[in-house]
Amino acid sequence: MINDLEKLANEWISSTPQNVDVKSECYCQTRDIFQARFDRMLRALFEKTDFVGDPYIISAIVGEIGNNSFDHNIGNWRDVPGVFFAYDFTGDSALVVIADRGQGVLKTLQKAKPDLKSDDEALTVAFTERISGRAPESRGNGLKFVRENIKNKKMHLEFYSGNAKADLNDEMIVVEAENNIYGCFAVIKI
Amino acid sequence: MRIELKKYGEVLISRPAGREAFLAMTAYTLNDLPLNEKIEIDFKDVKVLAPSWADEVVTKIALKYTDVSLLNTENSSVQATLKTLREYSDLKI
Repeated sequence: MINDLEKLANEWISSTPQNVDVKSECYCQTRDIFQARFDRMLRALFEKTDFVGDPYIISAIVGEIGNNSFDHNIGNWRDVPGVFFAYDFTGDSALVVIADRGQGVLKTLQKAKPDLKSDDEALTVAFTERISGRAPESRGNGLKFVRENIKNKKMHLEFYSGNAKADLNDEMIVVEAENNIYGCFAVIKI
Repeated sequence: MRIELKKYGEVLISRPAGREAFLAMTAYTLNDLPLNEKIEIDFKDVKVLAPSWADEVVTKIALKYTDVSLLNTENSSVQATLKTLREYSDLKI
């Protein structure tokens, strides 16, 4: 099941626009649909008695990443609007995947920092510096919150955008990804 | 003046929702208050708080009013969010 979700999300974000499965129950075309499915995820998470993670923190992290997709791509989706959002809480482990077919981190941050040149540089900045792709609005704290709490709660996050992958747990390492992701793809594991 | 955040929901996560809450607060709760009014922001019964929502509400109130305090902040997402806002936003309390 867990591997299936990652695979499904990867297929959803990698398909040609005509082949994107918009009938998938994991597809949230608008923020309202994401919010409704997020609320369903919360109920599932808080009903679990054997969950070893911090349900409050993982919920806040998922909320930040999912809402980021809408905040930074509204009116600018490359083709299919919205996110692919799925989760699995089997046993004491957890997996959450969120993917969007938006502009990606580099293009978004270049609006505030035009000298950014590469996807790996953009991911590093996104997780460590106070910067927002929606300048002059004062934003840009969400992914710092994510990085710090992934570390503090001993979770694992893989965050792909463009040809870069940020691998976060105790530390953050940014490496070249095997496949190019046009948009953002996050995999959270406990 | 005590602002009970649970009245805006027990899951407070997105910027648009935070902005809407702040606008409603400004119109119905904070209107006409002097800038030195004692304001207590109460997190009791908030289940999940994220920095995007809180930055639109807590940071803005704390920047505008001079006597703001935070109550019932034990929830782990509340604590983590306040820490992030102090480090990466303009929250000084």
